[in-house]
Amino acid sequence: MTMQLQADAQPEAGTQLMKVRGMSMSYGFGASENKILEDLNLDVASGEFISIVGPSGVGKTTLLRCLSGLLRPKAGTIEVSGTVISGPHPDLAVVFQDYSRSLMPWMTTRDNVAFPLQGKGMGKVERNRVADENLAAVGLEGQGDKFPWEMSGGMQQRVAIARALAYNAKVLLMDEPFASVDAQTRFDLEDLVIKLKQELGVTILLVTHDIDEALYLADKVVVIAEKPATVVDEIITGFGEDRDQLATKADPRFADARARIMHRLRKD
Amino acid sequence: MKETTTAPGWLLVQRVAAIAILLGLWSLLIASGTMPSMLPGVIQIFSGIGEALTSSIFWAALSRTLLTALAGWAIASIIGVLFGLIIGSIKFLDRSTSILIDFGRSFPVLALMPVVIMLLGSNARMEIVVVSLSCLWPVLVQTIYGARRQEAAVADTVAVFKIPALLRFRRVLLPSALPFVATGVRISASIALLVAVGVEVISQAPGIGRQITLMQQAQRWDLAFAYLIFTGLVGWCLAVALQQVENRLLIWKRQEND
Repeated sequence: MTMQLQADAQPEAGTQLMKVRGMSMSYGFGASENKILEDLNLDVASGEFISIVGPSGVGKTTLLRCLSGLLRPKAGTIEVSGTVISGPHPDLAVVFQDYSRSLMPWMTTRDNVAFPLQGKGMGKVERNRVADENLAAVGLEGQGDKFPWEMSGGMQQRVAIARALAYNAKVLLMDEPFASVDAQTRFDLEDLVIKLKQELGVTILLVTHDIDEALYLADKVVVIAEKPATVVDEIITGFGEDRDQLATKADPRFADARARIMHRLRKD
Repeated sequence: MKETTTAPGWLLVQRVAAIAILLGLWSLLIASGTMPSMLPGVIQIFSGIGEALTSSIFWAALSRTLLTALAGWAIASIIGVLFGLIIGSIKFLDRSTSILIDFGRSFPVLALMPVVIMLLGSNARMEIVVVSLSCLWPVLVQTIYGARRQEAAVADTVAVFKIPALLRFRRVLLPSALPFVATGVRISASIALLVAVGVEVISQAPGIGRQITLMQQAQRWDLAFAYLIFTGLVGWCLAVALQQVENRLLIWKRQEND
């Protein structure tokens, strides 16, 4: 089974995968310098689901771009699997907010998923097989020949998730991945991500402005706020493995954590 | 596209009528006697085309012209797409070459012909060079436009998944620029035939252009016009065929825009 294969490829739960120390980011220089992030610290262990939540405009996308190696922070270090990175790293895959643009419209969904594998030098038969397996894992079995524009937004985001999974990275970085789909699709995608985390053991770092989403999905919620943004709170959710859109959100601990985050964010 | 699906028959009638009216006007003009007497009438031209179609000299000349036009066009397309993708995707190259490219685009290539003839002689090689020089600019300029319009999200994706440069060139840059490239390639196909015939008329290099001049000199105006019109017809067929290829290749683009 693929699921088994994927799970085997992941490191043992609890191993430190990412270590961010003193990360700062700013645009411009001198008097016009605009500080976005300051002295950010973050640890990601294998098998963890971490949500980073913060208000709109706080610099969440900048943070994720730094973590993924797309932007170089002005100060501080990002370690992935024990080495300091200076650009995109094969242990990191990203699911972008703008799924409709990050998928290539001239490729079938199978080719979209297989494309990063082609970049790794994997042969055609092998990469197509892996692509089909990962499409099946996100609930798109047998849809490999379709083009992204033949699919709904939710399905396109599933393809983007399949592409990140197929890349077999150790950490999946997700930038507001469900921000532009309707509510029902959003719940479906949230539950899909929870299922993938449980079954494949992938480590996920998700950035969102939605407090409920952050809490519902994560083992640990990291709250960022202020200007320049820094970590202002960390909450271990403790909801365990099984989550349910109704039951989990009705949990008193959910309401408590929610109030705590909202209170913390309102201070700004 | 839309009209043809609603009433294809009616559209055809309209188009045929437009051609018939044009031919009728021509006949009237000839009959009125206001035009120089050497101008052939519609019937003479049609019989001229008939004569041309059975003449081996005509076919040899036409295929010669088409081959040189095709060769020049192919060379220009390959060079234009290659350089266009490189220039358009690398910011500093794009900025530094923009003046050169604007200049090259407005440069009258036909005026270069005497120089090229001097260097290479009045032959097919010279013709191919002139045709490629004329075709290069539309392809180059369009490809640069296309390569510039790289989606930020696509660029991020390529970076995150560490796609190697060559693979990126072939499977990301080229297809995303393709809608623009196709326009440039299609425009330059018509230019290729036009320039090839023009070069032959001026330089007397062998081909349909030279045949047209020869027929003129032999006072066979009907044949000269017949050659001209038939060559135009071939050019039109080429353009239609290219449009079909383009539509097939760019299905994703049309769908995306819907």
